[in-house]
Amino acid sequence: MVNEGPPDGEVVARILGGDGEAFGILIRRYEPGLLRFATRMLGNPDAAADAVAESLVRAYRHLAQCRDPSRLRSWLYRITGNRCRSHLARRHTSDIPLSEAPPLADPSDSWVALERGEQVALVERALAALPAEKREAFVLKHVEGMSYEEMAAVTGARIPTLKMRVHRAREALLAALEELV
Amino acid sequence: MIADDRGGAMNPIDSRLQDALDGERDPAELPADLRDAYVRLITAARLLEVVPPTTVADRVMAEIRRSPAPTLSPARRAARWLSRPRAITFRLRPAWTLALAAGLAAILLIPSEPGTLNPGEAQGVARFVGHFPGARSVEVVGSFNDWSRGKLHLQDDDHDGVWDGAAVLPAGQHEYMFVVDGERWVADPLAGRYVDDGFGAGQQNSLLVVRPASGTP
Repeated sequence: MVNEGPPDGEVVARILGGDGEAFGILIRRYEPGLLRFATRMLGNPDAAADAVAESLVRAYRHLAQCRDPSRLRSWLYRITGNRCRSHLARRHTSDIPLSEAPPLADPSDSWVALERGEQVALVERALAALPAEKREAFVLKHVEGMSYEEMAAVTGARIPTLKMRVHRAREALLAALEELV
Repeated sequence: MIADDRGGAMNPIDSRLQDALDGERDPAELPADLRDAYVRLITAARLLEVVPPTTVADRVMAEIRRSPAPTLSPARRAARWLSRPRAITFRLRPAWTLALAAGLAAILLIPSEPGTLNPGEAQGVARFVGHFPGARSVEVVGSFNDWSRGKLHLQDDDHDGVWDGAAVLPAGQHEYMFVVDGERWVADPLAGRYVDDGFGAGQQNSLLVVRPASGTP
């Protein structure tokens, strides 16, 4: 992740000092990853955008409660993860209907792009079939590139539990991805 | 075969593959079948790294402009109050003086604007200025605070790399150093006077002479 500009702690201090516009720096810094995370969790880009927008507004309003601004990334992912879980709970199922699967990532007419799009759709379907906790663990570990320590800060789960979830997610995905590559 | 928690079934995968995926084993050491599985899972993860082509920045900023500014909890507000520059004046009866001297000394070392400080008799205002672009914190340690960190922090409110602060100190000569980012001890290049730090490595402390405020014109 490219992290240019002032450190998070400095930006947070500016915001708490009354410079609300500085929150835009944090949005630019973390929005792409949060949107990707929420999209993978919810399987629906519109629902993911709503969850991230609500999470960022909530983060702004409660910014003073962020005990360690140097770990802002974990805090933002935690809020977004909670938002996604609430959204999934409202749907009364952790399954994501295929009809809500995200559009192909690269819908051009070229054969290569089409093949890549089919691969993305295949992986997304396999991911969507996982229980939410395992899906979250796999995405945080392998898509967002977090350490188990950071994942523990995001999810509130213990590291051995997270390792088990990641291992089980890998097993399930591997079985579902025989066609890949 | 083991059952997953949704009633399905899946095969446990080799622990060497799990170790490689956790970064605890070199994937090049895996046998061919496990290496294929490794590549398949890593490829899947790369395919999921695509960032959705959307943004919520405008709606979030519009919403927070309508929101009240974030506020600090009472505890954090108290902490900020203690670190904010302010003038502190105490009138002490002689009987209290000795009992409160230590605590008062700590309070008087809170950095402040020179004009807002109110030194007592046999005290003066010392101002510290240093140019440390890119520093995250700068503090002053010296003979006046037992060379202890955390008592006199300088500020760079406009982020131009110039850190400054002031404190009431007893009149007289003091040795001091800047501590940058909590770990780098630096003599004040603007001090003009220095003394050997006494540790035999040729390092020097900066020297400061505080004159009593009552004696200044």
